[in-house]
Amino acid sequence: VSVRLLALLAAVLERDLVEVASLAPDTPLFGGAGLGLDSLTGMRLLAAIQREFGVDLAAEDLALDCLQTIGTLTARLDRV
Amino acid sequence: VSLVKCVVWDLDDTVWPGVAIESDETPRPHQHVLALLAELEGRGIVSSVASRGDPSVAAALLDRFVEPQVSWDPKAAAIQRIAGALGIGLDAVAFVDEDPFERAEVAHLVPEVRVLSVAELRAALGEPAFTPAQITDEGRRRVSLYRDEDRRRRAESGFAGRREDFLRSCDMRLEIRPAAPAELDRLGELGERTHRLNSTASRHGRDEMRRWLDRGQLTRARLADRFGEYGLIGLAAVERPPAHAGRELALLAVSCRVDGRGVPAALLRWTMDEARRAGAREMRVRYRPNGRNVRLAVLLRQLGFQHAAGEFRRSLEDELPPYPDWLRIE
Repeated sequence: VSVRLLALLAAVLERDLVEVASLAPDTPLFGGAGLGLDSLTGMRLLAAIQREFGVDLAAEDLALDCLQTIGTLTARLDRV
Repeated sequence: VSLVKCVVWDLDDTVWPGVAIESDETPRPHQHVLALLAELEGRGIVSSVASRGDPSVAAALLDRFVEPQVSWDPKAAAIQRIAGALGIGLDAVAFVDEDPFERAEVAHLVPEVRVLSVAELRAALGEPAFTPAQITDEGRRRVSLYRDEDRRRRAESGFAGRREDFLRSCDMRLEIRPAAPAELDRLGELGERTHRLNSTASRHGRDEMRRWLDRGQLTRARLADRFGEYGLIGLAAVERPPAHAGRELALLAVSCRVDGRGVPAALLRWTMDEARRAGAREMRVRYRPNGRNVRLAVLLRQLGFQHAAGEFRRSLEDELPPYPDWLRIE
């Protein structure tokens, strides 16, 4: 999961994969201190996850609790 | 002059009147657009679509358009994908949108693409760029094999940063004020007709707006930029529930005509400021999913809200999320 997810994150955020892959699991997805995801790139990430992993996270979890850090999202996708 | 081989259309308020996601069925295209589509096809120029919205809309377009792109991506990215799929250069693409902001955004991000209003497209049909000489099938195939990888790769990198540059160049002013009685009709319309950027699944009409307004709980936003005025495009109703000491955002609704400009984030920040000034320690948001408003849930997470007991909540005691820096709040 990890590598596929990191590749999606790098693509959606238009960042270098090596740079994204070097981040700690507790790096927040949102915000300046984190990966800088916002609502538009967040939607693209959800769409990419649905394409790549076949899971509609928004439909399954209205609270989107897995969208906190790289680690929480990885853990969620490990269960797919 | 490079020949235009594909015309990429925006949908809402260009191909058809209104916003597809705000009505129950796919709207009927304008007659004058249907005539232009037929004219282009007769000249061997294909039509495609780059529009913001739910990807499910695209399936309904396949009989008229090739490679239609309906998504949350910037239209410039969609245009790149279309050019890539057709194997043509970006300078062989024209983009048609009735909204001058959208045209300017595409022109900023992919300057090779020719951007036009519908009227400008009609006028341009007399130009050499839209008048292909007779070409053989073989010639057409050669054209379809043409790719300019290098240019495409360059244009594909770093959209996000350049989009923010573009937004900063737009001189966007967001005027946020308490709602006035004269605005009730428009506010009711926003409460009834918004789906994508609406925090509840239900519709809120004029009467409900009046109740919020009478209690001083209703805030509205108007947007203007260097392309003109968008008018009243957003509202927030913030209640003071007896059950807890915080404030409760009963409704946030923003027209999707101004999608992608940071208006919901700014309105949320404004309501949090106001609540904090009034001594509240927590903001809660009555969010109800309707299958189309996931964006707002993602935005709430982005702004530091956590979901608990059926609501998104955020403390007002720590630092509030910043306003989008391209918006001047008035």
